[in-house]
Amino acid sequence: MRCCCALLLIVCAALDCHSQTYTQRGSLETQSTFYPQEAKNDRTHVVGESLFRYEGFFNPSGLVQLAGGLDFRIDTHLQVDRDFKLSWQDRETRRPIGAIRHLSATYHKGPVTVEMGKQFIRWGKTDIVTPTDRFAPRDFLTVVDNDFLAVTAMRFNFEKGTNTIEAVWSPRFTPSRIPLPNQRWAAFPELPPGVTLRDAGASFPGGPQSGVRWNHAGAIEYELSLYRGFNHLPSFDGTPRFTSTGIEVDVRRFYPKIIMAGGDVAAPAPWFTLKGEAAYFSSTDNRADEYALFVIQLERQAGEWFFVGGFAGEAITRNGSRAADFAPDRGLTKTLLGRAGYTIDANRNIAFEAAIRQNGEGVWIKSEYSQLLGQHWRATLDLTLISGDTGDFLGQYNRNSHAVIVLRYSF
Amino acid sequence: MSRVLTPAFSIFFILLQLDPRQIVEEAQRRTTTQSQRYEGTLRVIDAKNKLTEKRWQYDRIGSHGASKAILRFTAPPEVKGVALLVLNHPDRSSDQWMWTPALNRDRRIALQDRSTRFFGTDFSFEDLEERDTNQFDFRLLGEESIDGTTCWKLQSTPRQAKVSQYTHSYLWIRKDNYVFAQIENYNKDQLVRRAHYSDIRNDQGIWTAHQIDMHDLKRNSHTILSIEKLQYNVPMKDDAFTREALSRES
Repeated sequence: MRCCCALLLIVCAALDCHSQTYTQRGSLETQSTFYPQEAKNDRTHVVGESLFRYEGFFNPSGLVQLAGGLDFRIDTHLQVDRDFKLSWQDRETRRPIGAIRHLSATYHKGPVTVEMGKQFIRWGKTDIVTPTDRFAPRDFLTVVDNDFLAVTAMRFNFEKGTNTIEAVWSPRFTPSRIPLPNQRWAAFPELPPGVTLRDAGASFPGGPQSGVRWNHAGAIEYELSLYRGFNHLPSFDGTPRFTSTGIEVDVRRFYPKIIMAGGDVAAPAPWFTLKGEAAYFSSTDNRADEYALFVIQLERQAGEWFFVGGFAGEAITRNGSRAADFAPDRGLTKTLLGRAGYTIDANRNIAFEAAIRQNGEGVWIKSEYSQLLGQHWRATLDLTLISGDTGDFLGQYNRNSHAVIVLRYSF
Repeated sequence: MSRVLTPAFSIFFILLQLDPRQIVEEAQRRTTTQSQRYEGTLRVIDAKNKLTEKRWQYDRIGSHGASKAILRFTAPPEVKGVALLVLNHPDRSSDQWMWTPALNRDRRIALQDRSTRFFGTDFSFEDLEERDTNQFDFRLLGEESIDGTTCWKLQSTPRQAKVSQYTHSYLWIRKDNYVFAQIENYNKDQLVRRAHYSDIRNDQGIWTAHQIDMHDLKRNSHTILSIEKLQYNVPMKDDAFTREALSRES
């Protein structure tokens, strides 16, 4: 309530005679996913999904902007809730039918910008794995095709010349959405006979999260960042219960406290741009690991081609006592990562992405062809191949190779 | 005495006119403004004569090497919001960042990547820079007619500090109003891009080409940029040309 009053005050204070503008954009997207193989816990071969997205930007004055976005979606595979409500918190296990994708007010004057509300905050410079991107939870219902979720936060940005300082305070935690237990993207360990798992829900942390970063954009661009809060990716604790049929393990999600210190750098060289990002994660929660993540990547754009290639690594300094965790960021470490894109013409492009585990136990390859049809329509065909051993983060999805056809109308 | 001075002065003046740097500096001086705003329509015509249309809004504060610019796509709908921030420097190449709303992230365009096409148009990222005359050496090659108008033909070569995809360029500057009529950009002996300027009008006392036809000779495609709703010296604030501002829709 206090937050709403503050937003209203800012808007009222800034309503002067400045010209007002309103811009909007949106899309209606229909997607069909085809899985040739059945998974152990999911026999579905075809999943259909439709998403309507609308975004509006209102500038009541030269100093203030109000930005908002709404998502409405429906699907055939119960990844979307069937009860209609407009979700703000993104804490549901399924995707909500209606969601406020983002809603924020921005005030800017001189070098200072303050943004309050539900917003997207992206830190870091690397692709695929971004260790310092701590205010960027994602929807991982389909692990390899994920989308960012906004966080409720207040962001202060000071940009002067080549230096930027940004401070973020988020009063309420937004977790990443993880695969549903009864669907193919949830991978379970092999259990002994008589042992079953039961979803006991989640314990969401109550405290705020905060972070600060300093970026310098000189000939070499670098950034230092600190974060104190919670991992938006869950860990799992198991509590066994003895029943008449065997042992039932209550699996509860928790989000350990973390402190992150990290940095990134982008250095242009004559033939490519070298980017690096690293972060160290410590925790006062003994159940959580303490570890460092790092990514080194090379980027090059030549003619119609765009190349990114790199390596992501991890060093664990303390093993926590949690039973398991869902950590795609760490799952993609000790991995060679690559991405290439080619623009065929103004309307057509192709792209390839690959992640190959260092030990060869997991491979993910994605190829995409996309074509603009007229001014509003775009058709995209994705082919994703996943193979490997079930013990590997990527390999465990070895029955989830799939093809996706997306048809999008933008306005 | 005055009979002697007048022809001497005239000869001096002619020599002055023929100094290639002064020609380009005069062209630059005549287009120096506090700011510029226009709506651009880009018609991209590929080698197979297939037409794609895009639109952008262009805002610039300052002029030439001391300017900052943001261009923001307004159409087609699927690229709406994609924006490019160009911070020009008088003594070196510009800094450029591109904002893509779908990623909620800006990406710095590295110097070695500036020769690539900008978002499917025939302009490269480097072509969107504002160039300062001090970054080039000039040589006057003579006079030629472009579209029936007499022009000075000059050769410009980037100096050491300027890293460019082009080894040299030929510039045609109209003698009547100092407006660029054509620029041919070369990489060694190969003509890479040709920009042809037409529909020249006087806007607020500044002669401005309202149509630029950029021809990519390698791909045999060209992009025609039509400039509409052009305004000079519109009040603009410096803080509208930052990376933070790049991410704000307008």
